[in-house]
Amino acid sequence: MSAVLAAAGLERTHPGTRPRPWARRERHRALRGVDLQLAPGERLGLVGRSGSGKSTLLRCLLALDVPDAGTVHCDGRPVRPGRAPGLRWFRRRVQYVPQDPASTLDPRMTVGALVAEPLRALAVPDDHRAAVATALRRVRLDPALTDRRPGELSGGQAQRVALARALAPAPEVLLADEPVSGLDLAVRRQVVELLGDLSAEGGLALLLVSHDLSVVSRLCPRTVVLDDGVVVEDRATGALLADPHHPATRALVAAVPRLPA
Amino acid sequence: MITSTDTAGSALEVTDLVVSVGGTRLLHGVDLVVPAGSRTALVGASGSGKSLTAGAVLGRLPAGAVATGSVRVAGEEVLGVPAARRAAATRVAAVAQDPLAALNPLVTVGAQLATPLRRRAGLRGSAVRARALELLAAVGLADPERVLRSVPGELSGGQRQRVCTAIALAARAGLLVADEPTTALDLVTQAQVVDVLREHTRGSALLFVTHDVAVAAALCDRVAVLCGGRVVEQGPAGELVGAPASDHLRELVTAARAAA
Amino acid sequence: MAGRLGVGASRLLSLAGVVALIGVLPWLSGRSPELSVLRARSAEQEATPEALASIRADLGLDRGPLALLRSWSGGVLRGDLGTSWVSGTPVGPGTLTALGVSLTLMGLAVVVAAAVAAALCAPALRRAVQGSPGRPSGVAGAALVALPEFLLASVLLVVGAVWLGWFPPYGWDGLHSAVLPALALGLPAGGLVGRLLADAVTAASTERWVLTWQVSGASAGQLVRALLRRTLPALTTQVALVLVGLTGGAVAVEQVFAVPGLGRLTLGAAESQDLPALQAAVLVLLALSAVLGTAAGALRVLLLGRAVRTGTVPVAEPVRTWRRRDRVLPGVCLALLAGTVLAGIGRDPLTSAHPRLAPPSWALPLGADASGRDLLARVAHGAVDTVGTAVLVTAASLLVGLLVGLLPRASVGPVEVANAAPPVIVGVLVAAVAGSSLAGAAVAVLLVSWAPVAAHVAAATGEVRASAHVRVLPVLGVGPAAVTWRHVVPAVLGPVTRNAVLRLPGIALALAALGFLGLGPTPPTPEWGLLLAEGMPYVERAPWAVLAPTAALVTTSVLAVSLSGWSRARAPFHVEPRPAAPV
Repeated sequence: MSAVLAAAGLERTHPGTRPRPWARRERHRALRGVDLQLAPGERLGLVGRSGSGKSTLLRCLLALDVPDAGTVHCDGRPVRPGRAPGLRWFRRRVQYVPQDPASTLDPRMTVGALVAEPLRALAVPDDHRAAVATALRRVRLDPALTDRRPGELSGGQAQRVALARALAPAPEVLLADEPVSGLDLAVRRQVVELLGDLSAEGGLALLLVSHDLSVVSRLCPRTVVLDDGVVVEDRATGALLADPHHPATRALVAAVPRLPA
Repeated sequence: MITSTDTAGSALEVTDLVVSVGGTRLLHGVDLVVPAGSRTALVGASGSGKSLTAGAVLGRLPAGAVATGSVRVAGEEVLGVPAARRAAATRVAAVAQDPLAALNPLVTVGAQLATPLRRRAGLRGSAVRARALELLAAVGLADPERVLRSVPGELSGGQRQRVCTAIALAARAGLLVADEPTTALDLVTQAQVVDVLREHTRGSALLFVTHDVAVAAALCDRVAVLCGGRVVEQGPAGELVGAPASDHLRELVTAARAAA
Repeated sequence: MAGRLGVGASRLLSLAGVVALIGVLPWLSGRSPELSVLRARSAEQEATPEALASIRADLGLDRGPLALLRSWSGGVLRGDLGTSWVSGTPVGPGTLTALGVSLTLMGLAVVVAAAVAAALCAPALRRAVQGSPGRPSGVAGAALVALPEFLLASVLLVVGAVWLGWFPPYGWDGLHSAVLPALALGLPAGGLVGRLLADAVTAASTERWVLTWQVSGASAGQLVRALLRRTLPALTTQVALVLVGLTGGAVAVEQVFAVPGLGRLTLGAAESQDLPALQAAVLVLLALSAVLGTAAGALRVLLLGRAVRTGTVPVAEPVRTWRRRDRVLPGVCLALLAGTVLAGIGRDPLTSAHPRLAPPSWALPLGADASGRDLLARVAHGAVDTVGTAVLVTAASLLVGLLVGLLPRASVGPVEVANAAPPVIVGVLVAAVAGSSLAGAAVAVLLVSWAPVAAHVAAATGEVRASAHVRVLPVLGVGPAAVTWRHVVPAVLGPVTRNAVLRLPGIALALAALGFLGLGPTPPTPEWGLLLAEGMPYVERAPWAVLAPTAALVTTSVLAVSLSGWSRARAPFHVEPRPAAPV
């Protein structure tokens, strides 16, 4: 089975701060040779502590950052950061749900305009109104909300508008960066269930990035653990939870707070 | 339901606390007890009034807030008294959600840690530095010498949260209020900070404000549940989580079990 | 890294550009200076074409800008500031003597300013230490110290020297004669710095670390030192700008009190078209600004200590409180001005139909001036002239500021230079090149007034670009141009326009200052600054000739200050009146 999104040998070093004014900048190696394969329709979890390189990896996969070495391929085509028109084919296939999605809605735009934004920017030839209606239906939002603005929506509705915006160009892959952290438990459950349904219904591949193994374990059959810029485990989630090999994985498993029975 | 408690040795006793901000009543008579030496969690969803309660205890309510009722720290009434005008024994140490704001960004950790050691613990000379290093090591910081020389901006979020805890411990306050101290941290760091709080608050009482029942149960011996500006239930953590009496706590517990 | 280089290049290029502009000033001058030079050198020589041509050759006016610049900068590097066109003697020694006088005056003004600033920020510090941070500094109190220097100088001269007779009205003869000029220069500067400091201390005292320190048992002294150290780094640039601004204020103050300093020298050189003297004086002023700016930067790094390298010093969130009664003061000022205009606009401002210096009466509510013209009519028509010009200048500076501000890195240098340039100095240069006129004054004010707008645009667009809903756009496939024009510009347009409109009274005052110094419209135009200047000689016999324009200008100052407080309380993208740019 060929990968819809694949990264090979990704390396990325960030310049750090200077310990003394005259000293050389400390360098921070965020990624040290990362390989990652996402099959069509697959749900993959990517977990790691903050600072493990998750965000840098995500930026490279989204063609927002240039890796120092290594490649990213989508459907077998190489992906390089560059001017927006040259990346349209890629952005139509790979979309993104950011951390705290509700805050990424421009408060001055209507729901309809927000969801149509990627269609316009990516020059999708289809009927935009129909595509917006389809996207809203897929996230179980009432089409009557089309003319509302983000300020007039509930927290859960705003989350789903951001999700509908990512789904509007009918992508094959969705990258979700901590989509539920900072949410109340009730809203968190709704979003997790919705992501699972979307993936099951439309054959959408999902890469779920989180520091919380409990979220990943509910959605993703396979999990990749990133630690200090290196993939330390890449296994079935159940096996990984039951028998973590690497110390970083053990710390992540132990850190999930559990109520006493 | 409010469990009757012997309040003679309470570190904190909040009675019928009503707070209005800009004419809107947000707390409708909060009753809360933190017995001396106890670790008590104040659990509630966002908007339940947790931070406002913590603010009233700390003496920093938002501008325009009107508070009535009673807040007694170590038996003394402190409601409406800003922290600067409180007697030394009734000053409440705080660990906040955003540890960067809780530290002066221009002053080294060493200098900020020395103040409470000199003023509160009465240490002098080389004893100050020795005790500061001891405290930083105790809260789990790997390289205390380097941390002592650093300004807050040079540390990570988890490191800053531990420095705040060390300063709070150095102040030897009878009561420590931790307002969502782990919300901005990843789970591994959260677990470490919770361990530090458990290990090092043995001498004083802790009020731990959180939205996460699981973390509350892991750290605290008592739990108070806040809902809609009222405490709907409080008591020993094990009993409450095992058999929630209020609908609100039952929902929180169910959601937490489903998530784990 | 590339960004830092870009900023550095922008600063260097701007500074080089200004120096080059000063160097080619004689070539820029549209008014052939040879005739005035001839008149100044000898009264009897005929202005024959040959005589004029020989003077042109003598001055090197026909050699083109590059040759002029080369010979001038070569001279400056050798320490030769040039030869006066009027007296034929070197301008260096006179410039240095005047600089000494001006530095003494500015030093005394700084003492006054420091005392005023300390008095204004003491209550904020006391409240912070007591743990009850209140609202930021009051508007009404600050309005009194924020009068423009030329107006305050005139008022002090009338009250302190003419009515009370405590101090000499003019001259430079010992400390006694320096009191009034130092007050006129120091009070507004101290008022501005004190207000900024008090607001910054109030904002910093709501930060959580203050509580941490109080629980730690920090003493009041420790806390005050920490609060000042926390607030000063963000203000050093602004304090430096206020000090540089003293050079502009010194022109007006030295003119009013006849102090033989650099400001008066500059003004005199512009009037007599003695361009080498003007070049020397402006170059010295520029060097002074550069020294002050560098000192401010060094002080900032010193105060920040280690934290400067981490680059994560959070900016204290300004305390925004807004009360209904804050609307009363600007409302009353606006009503007063509108009432005056309505009452006087139908009357004739130019005909000398009344007795000279006639006192106020029912027929002449504000009296008549020295030429027997109706003062009410002149103040009302002056409002239309001054405010009308200010509206045009505001609109133009909004346009320029918006376009320049969209290039935040490239615009750093020009914005800093324009921000630091006092409008009076620019007015002197423009008048020297193009002669005194209302249009010239408007151009001079525009040359500096676009800079705060551009800085505001740069800050606001930076804030919008950093917001989550704009940062997500590239992933959705939106290109950089569409991000700027569809998302960023529409978001900042409203706040930036509002802020620019709130600066309108300040621009009107700057125009009036130029008019007062004779750098604006020429008589008999009823411009406010000119009205005040015309009335000053008769202040003892006919105080109303001064009172009418003074009242109008004071009302406008109060309006300007209360509106600036309003914009700071309301603007979603907060920028101080003179924003701090360098890092």
